Amino acid sequence: MTKTRSAQTSHQNLLALLLLLPSLIILGIFIFYPMIKTFYLSTQLTNLLGNPIKFIGLKNFVNLMQSDSFSTSFTITLIFVLFSTILTLFISYIMAIVASQKMKGIAIFRTMFSSTMGVSVTVASILWLFMFNPQIGLFSKILTTLHLPQINWLSDPTWSLIAIIGTTVWMNLGFAFLVLLGAIQAIPQDLYQVADLDGASWWLRLRKITMPATRSTIFFVTVVTLINAFQTFGQVDILTSGGPDYHTNLLVYAIYQDAFVNHSVGRASAQSVILTLIIMLFTIIQFYVKNKREGRNAK
Amino acid sequence: MFRNTAKYVALATIGLGAVLPLTQVHAADNQRQNIVFWHSMTGQNAQAIDRVVNDYNASQTKYKVIPEFQGQYVEALPKFLSVGGTSKAPDLFQSNEISTKQLSTSGMIQPMQTLIKKYKFNTKNLRKNILNYYTINGKLYSMPFNSSAPVLYYNKDAFKDAGIDDLPTSPTYEQVTAAAKKLKEKSGRAKLSILPYGWTFEELLANQNQTLVNHGNGRKKTATKATFDNKAGKNILNWLKTNADAGTLVDYGTGANAGDTELSAFTSSQIDMFMNSSASLGNIKKNAKFNVGVTYLPRPQDVKANGVVIGGASIWLSKGKSTKAQKGSFDFLKFATSAKEQAQWSIDTGYFAINNKSYDTKILKDAFKNTPILAAPVEQLKATTINAASAGALITSMPKERVNTQNAMENVINGKNVDSELSKAVKQTTADIKDANEQSGE
Repeated sequence: MTKTRSAQTSHQNLLALLLLLPSLIILGIFIFYPMIKTFYLSTQLTNLLGNPIKFIGLKNFVNLMQSDSFSTSFTITLIFVLFSTILTLFISYIMAIVASQKMKGIAIFRTMFSSTMGVSVTVASILWLFMFNPQIGLFSKILTTLHLPQINWLSDPTWSLIAIIGTTVWMNLGFAFLVLLGAIQAIPQDLYQVADLDGASWWLRLRKITMPATRSTIFFVTVVTLINAFQTFGQVDILTSGGPDYHTNLLVYAIYQDAFVNHSVGRASAQSVILTLIIMLFTIIQFYVKNKREGRNAK
Repeated sequence: MFRNTAKYVALATIGLGAVLPLTQVHAADNQRQNIVFWHSMTGQNAQAIDRVVNDYNASQTKYKVIPEFQGQYVEALPKFLSVGGTSKAPDLFQSNEISTKQLSTSGMIQPMQTLIKKYKFNTKNLRKNILNYYTINGKLYSMPFNSSAPVLYYNKDAFKDAGIDDLPTSPTYEQVTAAAKKLKEKSGRAKLSILPYGWTFEELLANQNQTLVNHGNGRKKTATKATFDNKAGKNILNWLKTNADAGTLVDYGTGANAGDTELSAFTSSQIDMFMNSSASLGNIKKNAKFNVGVTYLPRPQDVKANGVVIGGASIWLSKGKSTKAQKGSFDFLKFATSAKEQAQWSIDTGYFAINNKSYDTKILKDAFKNTPILAAPVEQLKATTINAASAGALITSMPKERVNTQNAMENVINGKNVDSELSKAVKQTTADIKDANEQSGE
């Protein structure tokens, strides 16, 4: 009896393995193998072809910690991620609340607000590049009209980061808006009707109904925007190429430069490992918060 | 059912009929040795390179060159390095000048000199200072093909309106600054652009007869440190600072498209003076609606102009190809660098004709007669003194050096101190050279 059962279990295990095999192979080849290889390469001195030639332990990491360009990259990446996420969330939430109102012609605004979703990174960056042009750009014209001093949007260390954040937020808005709008529209209307009966103000309804009901969506949008922000590449390449003086040299761009332009695969791998750890940290926090909330809801 | 089968049979017959002639063509092709040629030319230049290849394929029946676009120089190089030495490597590979050191030491290429010797090719007609760039220890490593050098472009009409004389053949920083100030007085706006770009810095340094790195710009033996922490380096940054402080400088930043933005700003009269490759001349000629002035790269008043470093790209031969393929590859290169082909190539693209005899051909003579501004880049190249500075630096960490000098330029424009920015760039470049030497085991 037990024998048959164990035979059955092992048979089932085999079947399970067989069914999982295709995805395991794909994950293995495209995710796990490159990841392990990256960890391995981060401990190596690589030659100019990117092949490992010598084990150097943590020297790549030590070099990174001592390098000015990396510390600039690291700091501005954190600033960039923080601001682009907060701004995306804040603005898209306001837009979603406005667009959830029932009025004539609101569909046009909904389409307009979500339209940046359909614009590719390259197109968006080039569009903004025109607007940031120091002579004929939109912003320069506005400043001239207002008799304000000109700003070097893409060549001043502070303003260039602001320019990149602005561009990124604009590109993120469409997606964040659409997801948040969906969540707001899914809130049962009777909640608001009851609140109306109680004479609740608009602000109170927002705080006590809309926001709690969309909390999990807000959380989802935050995490997605955050991880996307860490992986920003296209707008940096087109608008500033990491300049001036590394002040827009976000981590992913720095990795690309080191791996494919400077041929320092070891150094690039070490930076990739650091980036992976940061994103992993955020993912763990996400799981932790999510589980905690689900646990609370279950009670 | 049967009707369907009949249909399939009919289709198959037609299909076979269509394929048969193709296979015959293939059979004929198979007798020709295929030569795969990777290049990075786009737009107008891609059409021009296809022309050269088609001309060659039509000129003989033994070899067939197959051009394949592999992305820009930066993208094509890693591709080549990942297949180099295998059967997948192309027979010929076009790569830009700054990859010279890396490719020459990669072990994946066949130095051009060995074939020049084997097939008794005479390089005497090819321009000496262009060959000079690709020559290491007296050996030519790759065949120059598309070469260019920087020049100063300016708007002659705007100069006239502001009451400024045309710039002389070899202008000075002081003259350019004075012109920029007058242009600003006249228009109320900054009209000069000096792009914060490492290449510009290298060229301005070479024009003052100063090397970028030691050991004869890395040409006698592997360079170990940067050498531009001197008066020449300061001259460049101080020139930038003077114009930035006077408000005569437009800064397009360091983005991937900054060069294009600058170019179109010039042709649309947003700026009136800038430095760029002579290869942009074709574009400017076509799009500018005013009289364009072209002159030599500027120099400080008290320094004699040394001349410019050649830019652009050359063509490399893969190692380990069959004798027949190598013979064909070399035959194509002889054709591509011939007087006639280079003359047409130069007209089509704006690159130099690298063959001296090209300048005697009718088409090029006519072109120079019709468009006198074409002459300035060639004259500047002829006037260039051949020495270590004008040969250009030979280091593998060239991309990093460009970022370092670019940062120094941008920081000075943004108001930082010239001396400290220069020494920072020099220190970082030396550190990068050391890292690269460690990587390549030198």
